[in-house]
Amino acid sequence: MLVATDLVKRYGTIQALDGFSLNVAAGEIVGLVGHNGAGKSTFVEIVSYLIRPDGGHVTIDGRPPSATRGEVGVAPQHIALYPSATVREHLELYGRLAGLRRAALREAVEDLSTVLRLGGIMDRRAGKLSGGQQRRTQAASALVHRPALLLLDEPTAGADLETRQAMLDVVKQRAGEGAAVVYTTHYLPELTELQATIAVARGGRVIARGTGEELLKDLPGEVRVTLADREEVSVSTSEPTVTLIDLLRRIDRPISAVDVRNPSLDDLYRSLAVHDAP
Amino acid sequence: MLLDSAPRDSTRPAGAPARTSRLLDAAYRIGALARHNATLRLRDPGQMISYIVMPMVLMLVLKPLYVRAVDGGAAQVATGLMVMFSVFAISLVGNSILSERTWRTWDRLKVSRAGAAELLVGKTLPLFVVMVVQQTVLLVYGCLAIGLPVPPNPVYVLLAIMIWAFALLAIGALLATVVRSHGELSVISDVGALTLSSLGGALVPLSIMPEWAQLTAHVSPGYWALSMMQAAVRGDAAGAVPPAAVLLAIGLVAGAFAARRLARGWGRGGPM
Repeated sequence: MLVATDLVKRYGTIQALDGFSLNVAAGEIVGLVGHNGAGKSTFVEIVSYLIRPDGGHVTIDGRPPSATRGEVGVAPQHIALYPSATVREHLELYGRLAGLRRAALREAVEDLSTVLRLGGIMDRRAGKLSGGQQRRTQAASALVHRPALLLLDEPTAGADLETRQAMLDVVKQRAGEGAAVVYTTHYLPELTELQATIAVARGGRVIARGTGEELLKDLPGEVRVTLADREEVSVSTSEPTVTLIDLLRRIDRPISAVDVRNPSLDDLYRSLAVHDAP
Repeated sequence: MLLDSAPRDSTRPAGAPARTSRLLDAAYRIGALARHNATLRLRDPGQMISYIVMPMVLMLVLKPLYVRAVDGGAAQVATGLMVMFSVFAISLVGNSILSERTWRTWDRLKVSRAGAAELLVGKTLPLFVVMVVQQTVLLVYGCLAIGLPVPPNPVYVLLAIMIWAFALLAIGALLATVVRSHGELSVISDVGALTLSSLGGALVPLSIMPEWAQLTAHVSPGYWALSMMQAAVRGDAAGAVPPAAVLLAIGLVAGAFAARRLARGWGRGGPM
């Protein structure tokens, strides 16, 4: 569905993208992670046809972004709503701009009102909504025309639990129906729940890609043994179970606690992207 | 490339040629944008109300002075203040477009199917109606309360109002695409409106202005608007055509510039 190859984008002296490549298949959710400045939002803007790359190319369903305008669902990182328009008016505007009419428009609006739990606030103005409600309204505006490619740029940033869960539910639903999803986030547990393929961006390119399991395979976990006299023995290891058995054999003093920690996505994130920290 | 084939075009006639179909789709999108922007405008009517009420009060207060000072004083005060306060309405257009950048909604619109020209038309259509209503109300008030002669041919007046509203819209759109903030827009539109309309003879008749002012008046759109409006009110079609042509030209150039700016990554720090 989405094929991006060797994208390059420069803003003055800043190299935003430097050979950024990413493919996303229909029905696949790709979680794009990386520190601020890693190139995630620039990538989303290029695929949305908001900016053009200086090099490389993108195709969406075999066509360039210029030919797919209006067919991609985009929820930008920042809130972009009309303060004095209601939630319903937002959905109707973007639905109509996508060509939805009458019954189809009503149906799409009602569907999203249900799945994104907007029912009680449909006629409330966006400026009066909480941050989480605004996030859901923004996502609903991106989804209303049922796009086959979804670009969700940190859709849960600063969101409450209800919003986060609603967002994850709708993303899983749309991917289940065949949509390709690019989901940028700093909240890695969300990607586990979405069963997303993970792509790690650093320095304007994707430096690692795979399932969580694949990416964690070579990452060390940690075994920590606390002795009765509160002394701690801690070992970083890629085989925690074997290491624990070995430690228990060798330690001949009373033990008060044992902690085995497998590598997490947070460890992966830190190990791969730490150099980009501002 | 959407997930299902919902009946998106249920009102389109079957077998419509592709070109007609594209035009109908564009008209539908413009309609959606115009409806949305009209809703937003109606929810914030304060500025427009003041641009109607203020000139009404001023016309009433200044009428005796104008009637004593110049021939056709009633026509001068009615058309002059109408032109001046319609220029102030440029800030309505500018703020309306600039807000899309402040709210960051312009990018959301740009990723829709609507092209830059559709976005601009959909955005400004309700404002065009607002400006036409403003000018019409002020002229009708001028006839009823100030003693402006009833125009022998109201069609000329309506055409003049529409041409002037078009030029103002285009100038407002241009301003919105070159300023960096609402504050900057406010300064430019308020000072510019006062200067250009005064210079054009909207406040004081040109005939009693200094010679240098009479010479430079021609660079002001207000001058051409006043000439066109006064000719239209007199029913003088031949006299209204040259200034109407100048205003149309100004509107087309400003509108084309604004559309180009909006299409080329306006507000994003670089061309697209």
